[in-house]
Amino acid sequence: MTNPVTIDRRHYEDLAVGEVITLGTIKVTKEMIITFAKEFDPFPFHLDEKAAKKSLLGGLASSGWQTAALSLRMLVDAFLSKIASAGGLGFDNLKWKMPVMKGDTIGGTVTITGLRRAHSHPEWGIVTLAFNITNQKGQPVMSMVLNNLIDVRDPKAPITGDAA
Amino acid sequence: MTRWFEDITENETFPLGDYTFTEAEIIRFGKLYDPQYFHIDPDKAKFSHFGGPIASGWHTVCVGHRKMVDALFAEEERLRVIGQEPGVSGPSPGVNSMVFKAPVRPSDTVTYEMIVTSKRRSNSIPGWGLLFYRLNATNQHGDMVYSAEIVGFSKLRDYKPTPLQKLTIWAAQLPVIGKLLRR
Repeated sequence: MTNPVTIDRRHYEDLAVGEVITLGTIKVTKEMIITFAKEFDPFPFHLDEKAAKKSLLGGLASSGWQTAALSLRMLVDAFLSKIASAGGLGFDNLKWKMPVMKGDTIGGTVTITGLRRAHSHPEWGIVTLAFNITNQKGQPVMSMVLNNLIDVRDPKAPITGDAA
Repeated sequence: MTRWFEDITENETFPLGDYTFTEAEIIRFGKLYDPQYFHIDPDKAKFSHFGGPIASGWHTVCVGHRKMVDALFAEEERLRVIGQEPGVSGPSPGVNSMVFKAPVRPSDTVTYEMIVTSKRRSNSIPGWGLLFYRLNATNQHGDMVYSAEIVGFSKLRDYKPTPLQKLTIWAAQLPVIGKLLRR
């Protein structure tokens, strides 16, 4: 069954290992940090500047999960909403390398480092995406490797190479 | 963990409670952080292999983190009530793996639990220990929603720094912390 939502988007066959996706940028404001922290990460060092200064973070910084969620948002806008994505499988090696401080602007690149067919589901491929998220000074703040499902345009095509 | 590093037992399981995801919450989170059609548009989501809207995996993970923070605060309160000084937890350096399994649909209830699988003293930040823990999320049918291996910092109680180490601790609070945080 073809999916009318994604039929005109890029499919598995249209991607190649080595493609680099340039993300947009997001400025992380004090208000964004506190709003997110109140809902998902209410440690004093994400809510209060005084407590933040005394913490290991050294100042008001975003929750690592906020940095991750904003990074995903940038990937959806630049890539996942333009491919026949069938959902995320998970991620590995998420590293928070430096805090994202209030007023920082994050951006970066995502590189396709793997592409393989799913053995048990010929209609899907798995695209592996390596994130390099940086701040406005070019310093790396977060990295991770995400695995996402993508529809195969021709599921009857033989599965070759390293299938998962 | 809001218990001193020394008081945390390996393989101890902490129930974190549950959370019911409404369609409105799923769509609100999706529009902010993961605006793919199967998270934000119930009509279009019918065409996906999920057959309807599902929560972003990151939504279920962020809620799981909140449940963990709430449990830490509750443990802190429990210790205070029995007259003990609670420990101090620090930021997390990262997540080794996160596997999304069963999708979370509107009205699903997800139950979270945390298991400290191992711990060791930090090599890079004196006075702190590292906790390695697993966070499991399960739906009301008993299906695994996600399973994660996460790392966190926990302060040592029985730590007497030398003057040089005191200087290092001070330096670790400067914005160059990233390099020091690397395990």
